[in-house]
Amino acid sequence: MKKRDLMMIGGSAALALGPFASVGMAMEPRIYYGFQAEQFEYRVSDESEKRLVWDTDAFVGTDELKLRWQGEGERDLDADSYEKLENRFVLQTPISDFFDAKGGVRIDTPDGADRWYGTVGIVGLAPQWFEVDADLFVSETGDGSARLDVEYEGLLTNRLILTPSFEINAAFSEDREIEVGKGISSAEIGLRLSYDLIDRAIVPYVGVAYERKFGDTADFAKHDGEDYEATYIVTGIRLMF
Amino acid sequence: MPNVKSNFLTRLALSTSVIGALMTAPLAAFASPGHGQGHGSVAAEIGTPGKAADVTRTIKIVMEDNFFDMETIEVSAGETILFQIENKGEFVHEFNIGTAAMHASHQKEMMMMMEHGALDVDKIHMDKMKMDMGNGMTMEHDDPNSVLLEPGKTAEIIWTFPADAELEFACNVPGHYESGMMGKVRLKS
Amino acid sequence: MKINYIKGVLAGALAMAALSTGSQAATYDLTVDYVTIDTGDTKTTGIGYNGASPGPTLRFREGEEAVINVTNNLKEATSIHWHGLILPYQMDGVPGISFPGIEPGETFTYRIPVKQSGTYWFHSHSGFQEPDGAYGSIIIEPEKREPFKFDREYVVVLKDKHPHSGDRILRNLKMMPDYYNRKQRTLGDFIDDVGKNGLGATLSERGDWGSMRMMRTDIEDVQGFVGLINGMSPDQNWTGLFKPEERVRLRFINASAMTYFDVRIPGLEMTVVQADGNNVQPVKVDEFRISVAETYDVIVQPKDDRAYPIFAESMGRSGYAFATLAPREGMQAEMPELRTESPMLTMADMGMAHGDMGHGDMAGMNHGAAATDSGSQGSMPGMDHSNMGMGEKADPFYAAGSGLVPVAANGGKFLSYGDLKAQKPLYAERPATREIELRLTGNMERYSWSINGVKYEDAEPIRLKYGERVRFKFVNETMMTHPMHLHGMWSILDTGQGKWNPVKHTISINPGTTVYSETEVDEPGEWAFHCHLSYHMATGMFRKVVVEGGPTVTQLGNGN
Repeated sequence: MKKRDLMMIGGSAALALGPFASVGMAMEPRIYYGFQAEQFEYRVSDESEKRLVWDTDAFVGTDELKLRWQGEGERDLDADSYEKLENRFVLQTPISDFFDAKGGVRIDTPDGADRWYGTVGIVGLAPQWFEVDADLFVSETGDGSARLDVEYEGLLTNRLILTPSFEINAAFSEDREIEVGKGISSAEIGLRLSYDLIDRAIVPYVGVAYERKFGDTADFAKHDGEDYEATYIVTGIRLMF
Repeated sequence: MPNVKSNFLTRLALSTSVIGALMTAPLAAFASPGHGQGHGSVAAEIGTPGKAADVTRTIKIVMEDNFFDMETIEVSAGETILFQIENKGEFVHEFNIGTAAMHASHQKEMMMMMEHGALDVDKIHMDKMKMDMGNGMTMEHDDPNSVLLEPGKTAEIIWTFPADAELEFACNVPGHYESGMMGKVRLKS
Repeated sequence: MKINYIKGVLAGALAMAALSTGSQAATYDLTVDYVTIDTGDTKTTGIGYNGASPGPTLRFREGEEAVINVTNNLKEATSIHWHGLILPYQMDGVPGISFPGIEPGETFTYRIPVKQSGTYWFHSHSGFQEPDGAYGSIIIEPEKREPFKFDREYVVVLKDKHPHSGDRILRNLKMMPDYYNRKQRTLGDFIDDVGKNGLGATLSERGDWGSMRMMRTDIEDVQGFVGLINGMSPDQNWTGLFKPEERVRLRFINASAMTYFDVRIPGLEMTVVQADGNNVQPVKVDEFRISVAETYDVIVQPKDDRAYPIFAESMGRSGYAFATLAPREGMQAEMPELRTESPMLTMADMGMAHGDMGHGDMAGMNHGAAATDSGSQGSMPGMDHSNMGMGEKADPFYAAGSGLVPVAANGGKFLSYGDLKAQKPLYAERPATREIELRLTGNMERYSWSINGVKYEDAEPIRLKYGERVRFKFVNETMMTHPMHLHGMWSILDTGQGKWNPVKHTISINPGTTVYSETEVDEPGEWAFHCHLSYHMATGMFRKVVVEGGPTVTQLGNGN
């Protein structure tokens, strides 16, 4: 299944359920929907490599159950290829006041080998306002991996926001075909300064990001003649509709 | 020596008469709106309690919740009126003759009475009124220019109006004046 | 001659018959339309009545039957609820409870036997039509003379008009609960607090709130609105004329979707004479807080030949409404100084749900000391208070130490629920037959609001028995203020005044407090009972009340 097909299915589901979003005083649960692009940025590395990176999210559903599509990607603009192209379709439900559990599939279709994964995870707001997203993946090849994403929004003013972010990936077994080694495979830290230009809907930002591969994963990269680490200046826009 | 003695006598006479004059002043017919011992502050010329023999007219005043049945009272300068006041409402009301300024300060006093439990919306607590406010003053409501009536009660005031003054009759129970429970006294010369 | 005589008798008989079938019914025709709402700054498409928002002021007479024909010109169903009116439940206008609603193109005839007088309002009870502009006012003339006098009157309707539609606002709140909160604490505030209280105390205080994941500045969910008075923004300056020395009656109605306003008229004291349409023992105040859906009638007596500002600042200080009272056309009162600092919730407002916050160092929490009601009536000649033990009175309807306690801008008297006493009790005093506890609950992070932890769609109706006197115990376990509104029957707010407890239709419950109200269950049928904050009501803070027993109400269909 191509990425495009999946996006169409998700999109039409959202459109079909849209009109029900403004139910009056009836007894049916309300249906909500939304789209966010948490990242949509242009990156230039310290080695002048150019990337286009995105992290988008759309959902439709009730308070109790949502269908959610998460799409992440990294496009190498010089080589004209997809370094990373992930699409996740999960069902999400609340498990506590501040956390949801989610489960579904993740489909990776970058340049190189494709992979399907089953995924479960939790997402929510931890004490002291840390936004946490943690997932476990099991691939079609039987390899397990995990990802942890943490973000904090620091209000410099009510519109100017400084967001440090941290992501770490770990693989429980090697998957040489997709160049992932056992152990902590990669990590990324970022610092982005954003400005709420139009409500929370259109939010331009600038920032820095540092990516690094570790252990065998780093070795695989070196083997290919690639860098195992890179620092980027990023400029982008956040969207919320 | 005789000069000293006569000077002393003169001074004694003078001071006695001055003191005498001062002492009789409070007994003069300046009625002041106040409680028990009065305020002793400068009282405006609002008239004096009258004598039954001088009454030329009777005006019936009906108090309701929260208004008087009339908007104006017309009297001639110097006339003595018998007011027959009846409270047909369900709340305590006052009928008070004075200037707007006097009413304003009296409203503050009546607010105090309510806060101290001497006055309920529909009851007057006489015992609480006799309570000492801490400086020898009490909250008794016993001035000749006003009556405070519980529902169903009646009272009379005989009042001799002055020659010229801007007078209002009012109920100063908290909130009633602002709600319109007041009217003008038109003095015709 | 004989024929004339017969005609005369017949004419007389017909006239008598007409008189005896009841007083002439006031008939209104209302259309529900899409309208353009232009606040000067923003132009949005909203919903109005007879082509305008707010809709017209309807005038009824106590004792008459009011007939209102409502024609729906929208592309979706609509409804009109008569807020505060006692009427047969089928005329109450709540789709799904009173009737199915009014379909596009349909005309529904409301017939209301008017059994009360005072100031009320009406609004749509469908979707978010009311936040989008579907509201209007009602004046009901009394049969008997009112216990106050006035020379002229004005309706003053407050509204928080937002450039976003109600649907969009809720969607945004669901994605990000603080979407509309631009009064959050920033780095600058942190640095100020460190300067005032030291790093340790500041970190500790931030840590306490952070561990709860609650914001002290969570007072107003939806900021960014333009405050309107009678549909006009501050720039558009609605003006009410008066002649100096006249008594003016101002009928304040808060028709907002989400916003409480603190109302004052600098230079004029206001004498509150009615609350929620019912006469109260008059009380003089300098400022009052009006919850969403409440009404207050005040008498003012402007004496000077100048313009006075009618000024309403939102409770969270993010917006305001402004109008002018003037002796002549073409005047604009001077804008008072804005109070822009947001109040901040304190641990006291967390009250019920978080009783175990036993953190020692609360140095950063001085903001919300209970406001003192020094009852300043001016100097009391000759009255020595110090012996009397007349201490400062905190408003008992706020948690002790709450950060929300309002203080009058001029330091004078701020109205409290405790000051409201019925002018004439509507019901004889008797003990309640039972108590029903309603915990006001919710999850700000999910923007999900409920009663007793259960949303409307998952809840059983509240069942009451006709003839009982039920005592509602509202326990606010959230940190927001909720104006609770019971349709169809009066709520006697327990302010500790016994038979003088005020009779209201909307009761505001502050965070961390418990408030009691009693209702004589004397109207059969099914009624809505909900928080009147539009987006709380929509996400589940709502219940259906079913009154069992009582006279069977003949099936009142469309206008029959």
